[in-house]
Amino acid sequence: MIPNMSRPNFFEHLHPPTIPAREARFRYTFGLGGMSMLLFLSLVVTGVPLMFAYVPTAVAAGETIRAITYVAPYGWLLRNLHYWAAVLLVGLGSLHLLRVALSGSYKPPRRLNWLLGLLALLLSLLLSFSGYVLRWDVDTFGALTVGVNIVRQTPLIGNWLYELLVGGPYISDATVVRFYTWHTLGLSVPVLLLLGWHAFRVRRDGGISHLQSSHPPRISRRELVQREGVTMLALLCLLLGLALFVDAPLAPAVDSVNGPATAVTASIAAPWFFLWVQALLRHLPPLVAGIIMPLAVTLALALLPWLWDRSETGTAVWFNREGRLAQIIVLLIAAGIVLLTAWEWWG
Amino acid sequence: MSRNQAATAVLGFLLFVLTIGAVVRQSRQPEIVQITPTLTGRPELCLTCHQGIEEISASHPQEAFGCVLCHGGDGLALDADLAHATLRGGRAAGTTGNPSDLSVVEESCGGSACHSGAAENGRDHIHRVLTSVQATYAGAIAQVNYAFGQQPDATARWGVFAVQDDVITTNTGVPFLAEFSPGPDAPEAVHAFAQECQLCHVTAVPLAQPYFFRATGCAACHTVYENDGLYRGGDPTIAKDEPGHGRSHQLTTAIPYYQCNHCHNRGNYSLRQMTFLERDDLPGPHSLSAQEQRELDYYQPIAQFTLCEWELDCVDCHTNGEVMGDGDIHSNQADIQYVQCQTCHGTLAALPQLTTIEDPEHPAIISANLNPNYSVVVGDTVIATAQGETFGWVQWDGARLVETGKVDGRLYEVPLVMGSACQQQPDEQESHYCHECHAYEREIGG
Repeated sequence: MIPNMSRPNFFEHLHPPTIPAREARFRYTFGLGGMSMLLFLSLVVTGVPLMFAYVPTAVAAGETIRAITYVAPYGWLLRNLHYWAAVLLVGLGSLHLLRVALSGSYKPPRRLNWLLGLLALLLSLLLSFSGYVLRWDVDTFGALTVGVNIVRQTPLIGNWLYELLVGGPYISDATVVRFYTWHTLGLSVPVLLLLGWHAFRVRRDGGISHLQSSHPPRISRRELVQREGVTMLALLCLLLGLALFVDAPLAPAVDSVNGPATAVTASIAAPWFFLWVQALLRHLPPLVAGIIMPLAVTLALALLPWLWDRSETGTAVWFNREGRLAQIIVLLIAAGIVLLTAWEWWG
Repeated sequence: MSRNQAATAVLGFLLFVLTIGAVVRQSRQPEIVQITPTLTGRPELCLTCHQGIEEISASHPQEAFGCVLCHGGDGLALDADLAHATLRGGRAAGTTGNPSDLSVVEESCGGSACHSGAAENGRDHIHRVLTSVQATYAGAIAQVNYAFGQQPDATARWGVFAVQDDVITTNTGVPFLAEFSPGPDAPEAVHAFAQECQLCHVTAVPLAQPYFFRATGCAACHTVYENDGLYRGGDPTIAKDEPGHGRSHQLTTAIPYYQCNHCHNRGNYSLRQMTFLERDDLPGPHSLSAQEQRELDYYQPIAQFTLCEWELDCVDCHTNGEVMGDGDIHSNQADIQYVQCQTCHGTLAALPQLTTIEDPEHPAIISANLNPNYSVVVGDTVIATAQGETFGWVQWDGARLVETGKVDGRLYEVPLVMGSACQQQPDEQESHYCHECHAYEREIGG
């Protein structure tokens, strides 16, 4: 039976019946929010089967990663998809933040949603870091060691936070279990809920951020869903293409008794999205580079609609005059992170 | 068709193609070959790629040892770079990928139950090799330093690496060697020696050219390399046309003369020029028979030798203790080399020294069990040497002394001096006196 095409389908129902044409154009949003959403769902879909194979102990972690990568049928594909979806999520999620900041889309009434999105992105970074640690090889072991020792530098609660993460005074089986649980439940479920809330707030805040004009031209949600479909297909092609041709990294195994098994020491310990922190760590005390600076960046971003741009006009206008200060601050932060990352990568 | 529909069709097709690509890649994944060696209890996938490689030796069965216990590396990785990144002996240029290299031998081959155990149990192989002149090169270093006035006598003070020996059992043993590194005031010749002349010890990486190919460490002697350096075994990952590999992935005590000759009889060091002068008479005419080729190869043109010295293999006469060392650090090869013609041939006055094996754990029986070409059982009467070693492959059958070639199992009756027409003087028993009459005239080559 041919379905009644005039009735909206499930995906169309997720959208308002019509959308302002100007803001529905790809070159306004670049589809970054929707793509991040799809990438997160891909991470859940590929992550759950990986959970069946991964055994979270210090000895078995590396062994089961290798079993997934080399032995299990399509294990390499699942792991590569999971890896590349995470890389793309961090990249496209950050670009989404940049788009929202530069087009004034954080302004009232969307200030709460700005915070929700920022929180989802931060938790996604922690998810990526915990996933990186779960590889449990000499590179990620180095990052874990550096990471938990930075946490220890936190004033007053440092030791408590360290033991909370590590599960004892030393890195052990308990550490793997903790990172595994944070990764598969403790961080992923909150992000999933946050993303749902984030999407709901988009509708509740009056739909996609748009110009305040009385009768703007609008397109139907059917057209929008079709455009989204094309974008999602393109993203899936990119994801599958990357997973097919570029394997997720894996470094020599960690000796479960003696720590890193070999003299092969990684020159780059941090995952790529924290290389900028690693660059800072080379020149600043750990408390400043590892805690204060990232916290300052987070606060500067979180308080952007309150501190740097309290205007209510200029929404949906790229580089709007009212948001100049906020734009400059966000661009400076972005440029700093990109430059430090590049310096650490090639330097 | 709208733009969206066209894009959907194109991208949908691309996604389909990529999916087919994933199926193709999965179908080309290798068939997994997994073993779980009994000594480690940890699975290994190495044979997935190295299927067909020879078992290293009967005393290191694959089911018990697997690969990783000796080689290190990542036995669960099927990516060549990752699997080999942590191999003992390294992978990079200048390293050998050889777990028996003396830089890693303790990790790979050591342990009290293996090759760094007690001397009483005959398990001190690594200590013996590390202190032997083959590894320390102490003799040559001492001679050159002495000749150029850098030390007052020829007693060894330096080796290619620092080594010490806490238990000295011989008169010529020295307690330790420092690492040889000529100071700024040393004569140019000594610097040149340090630069040019250190190819001749088992830690040195050999010249990469025919006749010189060999491994380092234990495998320098116990893994046979053909003169062309080509692999003739069954591991599909080792190129058959790329020189620099052993004949097969095997350790052996049936070591043919040409393995010793990858270092010995290859030429001479000129002290005047402080350089190595390679012999130039090889490979000789193409028309030579195998026997003639052996006669040509065995010794350098200037060498004096007897018939048995090229018909037999080096290991038929030179003992374990002479070659691998006796656990002491010596200043000279002469301090440790003691086998003479009379060891097997006796003298006019006496038969060679013999002993009858009574202990089933006797070293002669243990050594024989490592060699497929001869056997020793309790009750056999074999040659005993002045140093207490035995030649289990030279047995007295009650009337005759019969030698079984350790390398090829050929049988030789050993002629005895006693009762012969030999005119030697009782006080002239060293081999060079025997060479006066028994030197063999080489008809080919130099």
